[in-house]
Amino acid sequence: MLRDFELDMPADLQETLACLPGGTPLAGGTNLLVDLRARRESAERLVWLGNIDAFRDIKIEDGQAAIGGGTTVGDILRHPGMERAAPALVDCARVFGGQMVRNQATLAGNVCSGSPAADSVPPLLSLDAELCLASATQVRTIALDDFYTGFKKNRRSPDELVTGISWPVPGPNTANRFYKLARRKGDAITVVGVAVTVTRDGNTCTDARIALGAVAPTVFRAKEAEALIIGETLTEERVDEAAQKAKELSDPIDDLRASADYRRDMVQVLTRRLLNQAWQSLGEKEAGR
Amino acid sequence: MTDQETSYRQAEANVVLRQVGKPLERTDAVGKATGRTRYAGDYTMPGMLHAKVLRSDIASGRLKRLDVSKARALPGVACVLTAEDLPDRLAATDMPGQTGQKRAATDRQILVREIIRHHGEPLALIAAETPALADKALDLIEYEIEPLPGVYDTASALEPDAPIVTEPDNVVGKYKIRKGDTEKGFAAADRIIENTFYTQFIEHAFLEPEVGLAWVDENGVVNIRMSTQVIEHFRFIADALGVPHNKVRILGAMVGGGFGGKEDITVELYLALLAQTTRRPVRLAYTREDSFVGHGKRHPFSVSHKTGVTEDGKITALEVTISADSGAYVFLSPYVLLYCAVAAPGPYRIDNVKIDAAAVATNNMYTSAFRGFGAAQACVAYEAQMDEIAKALDLDRFEFRRRNFMRTGDKTATGQTVESAIWADECMTKALDALGDKPADTGTVKIGRGVATYQQSYGRITWFHDTSEAWVGIEVDGTVIVRSGVTDIGAGQASALGQIAAELLGVGLDDVVIYNSDSAVTPLAGTTTATRALYMTGRAVHTASTNLRERLVAFAAQELDARPDEIDLANGQAFVPDDPSKSMSLKDLASRGASEGLERSELAMFRAPFTDPIDQETGQGPVFPDFTYGCHAVDVAVDTETGEVTVLKSVGAHDIGQAINPQAVEGQIEGGALMGQGYALSEELIYEEGKLVSPSFSEYLIPTSMDMPDIQCIILESRSGLGPFGAKGIGEPSLTPVAPAIANAVADAIGTRVFDLPITPEKVVQAIREAQR
Repeated sequence: MLRDFELDMPADLQETLACLPGGTPLAGGTNLLVDLRARRESAERLVWLGNIDAFRDIKIEDGQAAIGGGTTVGDILRHPGMERAAPALVDCARVFGGQMVRNQATLAGNVCSGSPAADSVPPLLSLDAELCLASATQVRTIALDDFYTGFKKNRRSPDELVTGISWPVPGPNTANRFYKLARRKGDAITVVGVAVTVTRDGNTCTDARIALGAVAPTVFRAKEAEALIIGETLTEERVDEAAQKAKELSDPIDDLRASADYRRDMVQVLTRRLLNQAWQSLGEKEAGR
Repeated sequence: MTDQETSYRQAEANVVLRQVGKPLERTDAVGKATGRTRYAGDYTMPGMLHAKVLRSDIASGRLKRLDVSKARALPGVACVLTAEDLPDRLAATDMPGQTGQKRAATDRQILVREIIRHHGEPLALIAAETPALADKALDLIEYEIEPLPGVYDTASALEPDAPIVTEPDNVVGKYKIRKGDTEKGFAAADRIIENTFYTQFIEHAFLEPEVGLAWVDENGVVNIRMSTQVIEHFRFIADALGVPHNKVRILGAMVGGGFGGKEDITVELYLALLAQTTRRPVRLAYTREDSFVGHGKRHPFSVSHKTGVTEDGKITALEVTISADSGAYVFLSPYVLLYCAVAAPGPYRIDNVKIDAAAVATNNMYTSAFRGFGAAQACVAYEAQMDEIAKALDLDRFEFRRRNFMRTGDKTATGQTVESAIWADECMTKALDALGDKPADTGTVKIGRGVATYQQSYGRITWFHDTSEAWVGIEVDGTVIVRSGVTDIGAGQASALGQIAAELLGVGLDDVVIYNSDSAVTPLAGTTTATRALYMTGRAVHTASTNLRERLVAFAAQELDARPDEIDLANGQAFVPDDPSKSMSLKDLASRGASEGLERSELAMFRAPFTDPIDQETGQGPVFPDFTYGCHAVDVAVDTETGEVTVLKSVGAHDIGQAINPQAVEGQIEGGALMGQGYALSEELIYEEGKLVSPSFSEYLIPTSMDMPDIQCIILESRSGLGPFGAKGIGEPSLTPVAPAIANAVADAIGTRVFDLPITPEKVVQAIREAQR
């Protein structure tokens, strides 16, 4: 049974930030309330974020996409500009939880839960996203890539709230993809999640990001694998090398869902597959020009 | 599908059916769709207490200390019961029979006295003023458990120095079947194919966890309103309380799914004890977590087949060795084992058969009834083996089956002649036709096709001497009432009875009201288990309605100045079809009859075939009243790099004799298709040293709407069954062939086989790698 807790319902952002020290932000509650009921979480005071003005705004302008801290996964799916502004994030939103969870869960909440299997994190990392963190006394931004410090640990201090997430909109010669491997198609915890971004200029890959989920204590960028393909033509060999490297960089665990060995192998399979798909989709675009 | 020389018994051929066989809106449909139906958890009473069960969190141990004093002292706690507070009585784990008979020495302790045998075994019961107080009291109970060595797999349980879970040797059931001469049969074979198949623990995962409300009334009767498949546990509950049988009454409510998981005693025993002690109403509602550890599971089986076969694909001999994990208490394991043994050869003619089956106790969760009841596990093995043999012989899998299928008039492996139609072949043909052309492979994604056919009993084991009663009456306004104890677990069990009565009494389903599921007031109908409710209670309603109809017809003949054989009843009228001047409404008929003292109701009992038990040494003899035959066929897509399996199309084709309500039948086939898919691909209860480590729906993966394939239902009607209007049963049969069909489709796609369910992506990848080595 859900244990008793205090619930603050501040009227706006300023009040919310004033409530935060000692309180735990409650957005969709799809992790927090479940964990409270299961006694995995001991928060005694929750701060509801539902009254913050314009907290679910989505802006896509000047090559930059920005979403408010209250944006739900469902909002991403329903926003017409997202297909172009964040293809991998839309891929993710389609397979994130189930419909009811998508309606409730927020991106910021998913990012802050810090689970290595948090599905929105690989896409956001592949998009080079930044978080905006506000407290009663200051506002700062931090690269998502610098946010995590360990398993379910991050650089948000207890008096801070993620008020927004932003990233540069990929250009026309950039492809961005995500794949979630899980044991069923709906409401599943991810076994391996991989997001890639590839920018192609003629026959050269000018930029690449590879983000891996559920294969280490945190979601992370496989930067040594990225380095193997940046500046290269993505031949079968180059892609295989990068996929092999991504596998080597993974440090998964055995659990009920899969073994560590399988997870490592799937990092290789999916990285190879997504890089090839991304590269080829850009080739088709070029050919079509 | 016409059969020129009908060699099987065919019930009521060529009759015109007006209500039966029509996809009528079920009597329970509107209430459920609008949320007005009351489930057991919706009932409350003034002054009601809320109960909780404290359970052991380890599987094998000795309870050294149990201190409930702090919990008892908590204001608002009405009662805390431990074994110390209970008389030295036990709880039955046997099949509830109408005979009141029970196996010897299979009862279990109600609460742990000293030895803990499985994770979740109850230590104490709490009743408090609020659910939160009950939870708090639970936290205040202090206990100390000394872990004891346990045994967690059947092989270890049979070793000479194994800890003994069930006296004397951990073997809780054994069956043998001997037919013909297997040595001779193997000598006549060109090839001998041997394989072992494994199934896992699974969970019923009904939508509605166990729940009930009990109170002691002014007559001292313990009333229990609850979610159950079996209201006739009232006898066992009375025995456990030490009161006469007529002092316990169980009232059902519409049930949110059972699948066998509400066949054994669940919350009613705890409710009865707490209500008896406190003399106040008590409600107990399991959380999902309680439910995961609170009822028995499906048995994991290992089934080894050794099959002799000629080059031209004729099976000459079959040896099957079966082992089932019965967990820590006996429950229905011996019966489940028998079902598996009898089903083991499948729907095939095999002259030489030798089957040895054993159920073995461990400190895992006890295992008991689950839709398919051992016969489902048997099918997982025999249908996989059929594909493996065909592959070894390089024969078409479907043609190989056709060369061996049982045909109408054949005998089972226990020597029982099947008197109904055996349409396994017809069902397979229909299912394959419905799949159409197999889609093409694309890159690393390979398409596979699989079928599984089956023979599955409906109705209980015939030496249980199963009976069922129903009452049918017509009111003076011509409306009809049906009363029967049958529990409706969501398949439309009650509505089907209404449709049968409506057919025979010439009214519409809207004119019938059904009262069911009250052990004190409605005639006892037995259990809603074993695919027996429609067969047994449907026949009782059929008989009661027919007898009542005869009286109404005779009376109408007098009134209309006609012969009884000229009278028909339909559309609320009694009439002579050839003479429009001779008709009267049923309303007039019933009210006239009432004034003349016409008996307007009928209580009838239906008796299944009664037999003696099978021969212990040979297993020969009849075991079941009859069997359903059918086929499930699927196409799957397998990503050969990741091992992910997607079911593309799923077709169930079943000869169910006669559909009473085809829409309800489709519901069973669709539900079976999805449940079987979970069994094949994703569902598994994982126990580590007997402790359940996957106790929630985030780890225990039933298929979601996103996983649901295109499902097609094909209903064949031989009208040859023992049920009303020639119906057979479909509740369990619709599930049985699904998992093996999917397993065969995956094997077809990847060219090798995963021998143990569930077929996870990881196992698929491993199997492909091993085959490439």
